Amino acid sequence: MQKEYEEKTGRAHKPLSPKQNVRKNLDFEPLSTTALILEDRPANLPAKPAEEAQKHRQQYEEMVVQAKKRELKEAQKRKKQLEERCKLEDSIGNAVLTWNNEILPNWETMCCSRKVRELWWQGIPPSVRGKVWSLAIGNELNITHELYDICLARAKEKWRSLSTGGAEVECEDAGFSAADREASLELIKLDISRTFPSLCIFQQGGPYHDMLHSILGAYTCYRPDVGYVQGMSFIAAVLILNLDTADAFIAFSNLLNKPCQMAFFRVDHGLMLTYFAAFEVFFEENLPKLFAHFKKNNLTPDIYLIDWIFTLYSKSLPLDLACRVWDVFCRDGEEFLFRTALGILKLFEDILTKMDFIHIAQFLTKLPEDLPSEEFFTSIAAIQMQSRNKKWAQILAALQKDNREMEKGSPSLKR
Amino acid sequence: MAQETTPGTSLEGSHPTYTYKVVLLGSMSVGKSSLAYRYVKNDFREFLPTVGCSFFTYTHNLESATVKFEIWDTAGQEKYQSVCHLYYRNAHAALLVYDIAKKETLKKAKLWLEELEKKFLPDEIVIALVGNKTDLAAEREVTTEEGAEFARTNGLLFMETSAKSNHQVNDIFMAIVQELLRREKEKASAPSPHERSTIDLKEGTPKRRCCWL
Repeated sequence: MQKEYEEKTGRAHKPLSPKQNVRKNLDFEPLSTTALILEDRPANLPAKPAEEAQKHRQQYEEMVVQAKKRELKEAQKRKKQLEERCKLEDSIGNAVLTWNNEILPNWETMCCSRKVRELWWQGIPPSVRGKVWSLAIGNELNITHELYDICLARAKEKWRSLSTGGAEVECEDAGFSAADREASLELIKLDISRTFPSLCIFQQGGPYHDMLHSILGAYTCYRPDVGYVQGMSFIAAVLILNLDTADAFIAFSNLLNKPCQMAFFRVDHGLMLTYFAAFEVFFEENLPKLFAHFKKNNLTPDIYLIDWIFTLYSKSLPLDLACRVWDVFCRDGEEFLFRTALGILKLFEDILTKMDFIHIAQFLTKLPEDLPSEEFFTSIAAIQMQSRNKKWAQILAALQKDNREMEKGSPSLKR
Repeated sequence: MAQETTPGTSLEGSHPTYTYKVVLLGSMSVGKSSLAYRYVKNDFREFLPTVGCSFFTYTHNLESATVKFEIWDTAGQEKYQSVCHLYYRNAHAALLVYDIAKKETLKKAKLWLEELEKKFLPDEIVIALVGNKTDLAAEREVTTEEGAEFARTNGLLFMETSAKSNHQVNDIFMAIVQELLRREKEKASAPSPHERSTIDLKEGTPKRRCCWL
């Protein structure tokens, strides 16, 4: 019987071209078909009539052929994936060389060239990512490693006085009271263990726990007026994954100092509203149908944008995609955050138009985990950040101006 | 009060469907998301801190009615409050959650109550006080009596729960369902002069928008 099987599988392969046969020998071992063995009826039972036996043999052959086909197809798919991965690795390898040898040494002159911008869009190779982010974010605040050490030392002092229980003071006044700052430090501890728990590296005892703790603590001492705001731990964590502690701190502080981030992390309500309004201008322009659907359902942008902007997508997108969003965010600035949001809405436009308020809210605050990266970036690329010849910055500035004029009319607490 | 989504609810022996907005409020890390997750999925897992708001839905198929809950799980950090404090707009029920092992979280829950009392009439919203984390009994800082007493004097539903060990989570949500249905019934049998029990169709759209002004 075994012999017969071999003969059959051999026959099943006859129609293949020699080339395919070679691949077959190299690539795969028939696994599942070995279970398909045609057995004759046991000797103690009457034999099958010849006609029936013939029919069964035929059916069996068909089954084997089908199984073979399937296997071959899968093997080819695997091979294709492997080839693609190799290609990807090659292109990453080449990109690393280009970044290291050509772009980084000539940063100032090259960073805005078309070629670099295109390479940038493809995603920065992880090995140079931190360097590129640092350069692109810059250090407007002129923070030095020494300043970081000073801030950290201060934070450590605070933690010590907190743990000895010396300061259970409660302060009722507004602003950043002592109690507030302590609550911030307390909160950091709580949140660190809740930052990317699935990676298991930021939790107590994990390799990056202390780094994350240090950066966030130092920041509350560096900017007591901002303090710790939930969402920051994710930003700091993503930076730590790509940079050394002190450099991560420098990037973190400078990143948060950008106008959009400052508006959000200081919870400047009026300014946040302006950002949402600007976002809606481009939303309507790019996705008018979905925009109308959201309006009809009273789905305001704050519902989904707050989480996305506060954490720079690091909580809502898979980490590798989030890093690619960060890449282009470092290149294009805040408008890319809003472009990304529109890209997400565009990608899921068909599903979203069929949903009601609560399901849209649920969907957007918990995006599918298996977001296809290429489709995702194609979708973002299709978003036009121009509305009636006006760019993001112009729309935003115009809205801000309107706001200021409105506020001038009535005395307001807002800046 | 609730959005009725079944046509012909006035028919005798009908089975109405009610949709309610339920909002979870409380300090950070008292277990708001965990309570919602336990209730909706009957499971416990570690949650990332909620930034802004997250959403859950749950449908109760009861003998007398179908009750749909739209659960708004808000961020706990105080800093977010100026952004999130309007998320409770047009809520039909609120759970004020505190951590029995952290006394100051009860204080915060009391502040939330004050805020809600300013914005809602007593019959407009069902409020429940929830002392979570009974699994941390050894570290308890708030006695059951203290919570219960505060709830009693303020007319709140009250229960101590543990999302982790699944203690009374379902019960507190069921208590809210029962209270909401009791109020529906009460209103149906004694319609007030301005017919509060009818659905407000004048607005056209459900009033659950978070207003930013």
